[in-house]
Amino acid sequence: MSAPKTPDAHRASATRTADAVMQDVSTIERALRTTLGFRVALQATGAGVASWMLLQQLLSAALPPSMRDVLSPGVLLVVPLMASATVAALCVVMLWRNVGAISPVRTALWIEEHGGTGFALVTWVEQHRAGQAVDAASTLAEVVGSASAGALQASREALGRLARRAMLGPVLFLVGAIAVLVAQSAVTVISQRRSAAGRDTSAPSGPRAAVPLGPWRVRIVPPTYTKRSAIELPDTNAVRALSGSRIEIVGRDAMPDSVVGRALSDGVGEGDSAARGRMVTLAAQGSGWHAAVTATDGPLEVRALRDRFAKLLLVEGIADSVPQLLLTTPARDSVLRTVTAPLGLEATVHDDLGLVSAEFEVVVSSGEGEQFTVRTVRVGARTFAGERDARLRSVLDLAALALGPGDVVHMRAVARDANPQQSRGVGASDTRSIRIARPSEYDSVAVEPAPPPDVDKSLLSQRMLLMLTERLDARRARLDAVVLRSESRKLAIDQSRLRQAVGDAVFQRLTGEQGGEHAHSVGDGHDHGVEAIGGKLALSGVNSQGMLEEGDDAPVVAINTPLLEAYNAMWDAGRALEQADTRSAIPFMRRALESIERARAASRLYLRGRPPTVIVDIAKVRLAGKDTSAPAQREARSALPTTSLGRERRLLAAASLAVTDARAARDSLAVLRAEALADAPLFAVALTSVLESLTAAREGTEVTAPFVRARRVLGGIQRVPSSSWSRGGTP
Amino acid sequence: MVARRYAVSTAGKLSPPHAVGVPGAGAPFVFATAQYDSGDWDSAPMVPANVIDAVARYTSLAVAPQGVVVPLSSEACFQYPLLFLTGHLPVRFSAREVDVLRRYLRRGGLLFVDDHNHDVDGAFHKTVREEIARVAGALVALPKTHPLYRAFFVFDNGPPTTSHEMNGWGDNLVHEHLDAVLFGTRLAVLYSNKDYSSEWSYHPDNKRFLSVDNTKFAVNLVVYALTR
Repeated sequence: MSAPKTPDAHRASATRTADAVMQDVSTIERALRTTLGFRVALQATGAGVASWMLLQQLLSAALPPSMRDVLSPGVLLVVPLMASATVAALCVVMLWRNVGAISPVRTALWIEEHGGTGFALVTWVEQHRAGQAVDAASTLAEVVGSASAGALQASREALGRLARRAMLGPVLFLVGAIAVLVAQSAVTVISQRRSAAGRDTSAPSGPRAAVPLGPWRVRIVPPTYTKRSAIELPDTNAVRALSGSRIEIVGRDAMPDSVVGRALSDGVGEGDSAARGRMVTLAAQGSGWHAAVTATDGPLEVRALRDRFAKLLLVEGIADSVPQLLLTTPARDSVLRTVTAPLGLEATVHDDLGLVSAEFEVVVSSGEGEQFTVRTVRVGARTFAGERDARLRSVLDLAALALGPGDVVHMRAVARDANPQQSRGVGASDTRSIRIARPSEYDSVAVEPAPPPDVDKSLLSQRMLLMLTERLDARRARLDAVVLRSESRKLAIDQSRLRQAVGDAVFQRLTGEQGGEHAHSVGDGHDHGVEAIGGKLALSGVNSQGMLEEGDDAPVVAINTPLLEAYNAMWDAGRALEQADTRSAIPFMRRALESIERARAASRLYLRGRPPTVIVDIAKVRLAGKDTSAPAQREARSALPTTSLGRERRLLAAASLAVTDARAARDSLAVLRAEALADAPLFAVALTSVLESLTAAREGTEVTAPFVRARRVLGGIQRVPSSSWSRGGTP
Repeated sequence: MVARRYAVSTAGKLSPPHAVGVPGAGAPFVFATAQYDSGDWDSAPMVPANVIDAVARYTSLAVAPQGVVVPLSSEACFQYPLLFLTGHLPVRFSAREVDVLRRYLRRGGLLFVDDHNHDVDGAFHKTVREEIARVAGALVALPKTHPLYRAFFVFDNGPPTTSHEMNGWGDNLVHEHLDAVLFGTRLAVLYSNKDYSSEWSYHPDNKRFLSVDNTKFAVNLVVYALTR
């Protein structure tokens, strides 16, 4: 058993205990400051990193490419860094107040919360901080001395947990942000490596900054047969070139990653990389590069790609047209009783590049019924030295042809240009025919020169086709398969043309129109009394009488059934000829001939139509009527076709883009114009105006009007010209 | 031409002066086009509407808003006081048509014949004059003082000239007078080779574009047929 301490000894012991407790409290206070300080630093760092990443994303999304090109990379790096540093500093300032608020008393209070000394420690620290004398014999000293050790120990353990909890969130956030940054960098590196893998091996290796393609020169080398010299153009993004021309693009800067071509009208899509690759060749040339593509008949888009930049060249292909001929003499078809004088032949010839030769082709068909002979005579042959316009004259001695009654002379002018492509065929004029009348056709009235009716012309042509087919069939065994197929297909084309002419005759009789605004065709939604079944025409069940009545006012006309049969037989014959099956085609052709003969022999109906019914409004005439004040009905425009709808969307997108990035808008419009050249030439012309306006536009120049006009042209909207009374607006 | 309007006293309620024309009191006037077997009787389909429009415009006569086509071989002709006959092609009346027309004229009907060809000795001109002579007698020149020219509007210079005459179409002549067959003082057949069929064959709605209405003479014809 120990001896009891004296009061002095007890005081000394209490003082040491109090000093030790104060030291422990100070230690814990520093530890708390450190922990919370680290936490504030981590939180500020996290906020800075987050704001930097957010700014990067915002800048890449909001800034247009042209603006990004203008700003230097340093600016793009420094601005987000400064902003994120500011955010971090603000975080530190705002959060450090908590750290600064830590004091010995608050530390003691925190220890009390974890140690449970009944606030004796807080009272002790407050007294100690206040410099009050410590009564070592007091209960307070005893309590602090006995309980503070355990409380301090518990506080240290709590401090460890606090540190872990305080660090965990910010550390996790930072780790996540770093992971995102690493992932982004990895994706960039991988894409760059893939891009580098697709480059030409001669391209310089190593990291390279993204630089847009510089100016290029475009050289157009026309086809050899045109004998025209090459043209070299400075930096341009659209050229017009004759079909077959070689378009060479020469760049002096670094080689692009790839140069791809895309035909805008032949169905080669974006994904058809094989087709695109075949169209363009790319090679290095000195310190620069060289690409070449061959112009086609339609528009072609060539894109040079490097990194995220692309440069566009539109090649508008111009087809070499066959020579165009106009047979001016004789001016019309005729029926002659006798041949008394030589016949003058005259034609005008034009070619877009240059003529090589021209002549008159005269075909004489003789015979009747199934016995026919055909002779071909060529007169007035002439060669040219590349003239573009010429006049062809000759005289045909009809007497020398020994024409007999019923003979028909077909005349046309043909011309060739220098284009070596055989499949284009030759240019030919319309065919005139002169028929020698048979004695049975004479009557009391003199035979007047008059063209044979359409049905007769069809008959003659069908006879000629039949004879040619029979002749080809006779030579079939001696002919090469390719030649036979080629000859048969030519006949099939002629048969198809004739079939269409006969079809027109059927429909003319249906509607009483000849190429008028309201032209009819099979499948146009009208009830013609016929319907198309597998390419042929058949009387529809709705109108089995062969009569047609459209509305109340339309005339009632008859369907020419024999011509309908001829049409269908011609369809069968044409199909057989397409397959080079001349033997199968002949019976159908004979059937067509018989049907046409029946149509000739059929009774002719001359339909004048029903006079309009007019009912006079007596009250209105006498000004005694009433105005109903009913306004005229306005009908909404029908929806645009799908193609036009897509084009309208692209036009509107380009209009929006023109405000922020005129260069990209011009490229979009140029592609749209090239696509529209084939099927919507008026829209293409309107787009040309838009492009010219955009090119000439300076800052603040209004380009809305050309866009509006282009949209109206696309929608087929007709605007009545504004009169002097109009309020005006965009014309 | 001095045009002066004469009042029609019994607006729309003319009593029938003859056996032909008005089936009942108060019945409206109906413009009738004669349909004959030969030729093209309907070569001027807009004339009826135009005449009806003129009658409605200038008079208070009760008038049917739409004309009728009546076969010349039918006794239905007797219901109409005025028959309009025109065409381009040769005219040959059948025996039935001759009989009906002859009775129609004797009963008081008025046949207005117009040569749509407007040419010299044309097919219609020659044949229809022969047929009229066969049915009613020879045509004679109608003097400019005839009451027809004062029946409603006043035409001091006789029949109004048509644009076809002025423009040198057809026979390139301006015909000074019309021909007629008179039964006593009554006009039975009126023959014109001034081509009123072309002059009046347009939609009445287009009349507003004319500075001078060229259908006024038709009003005289109708009023004369109803009032003489």
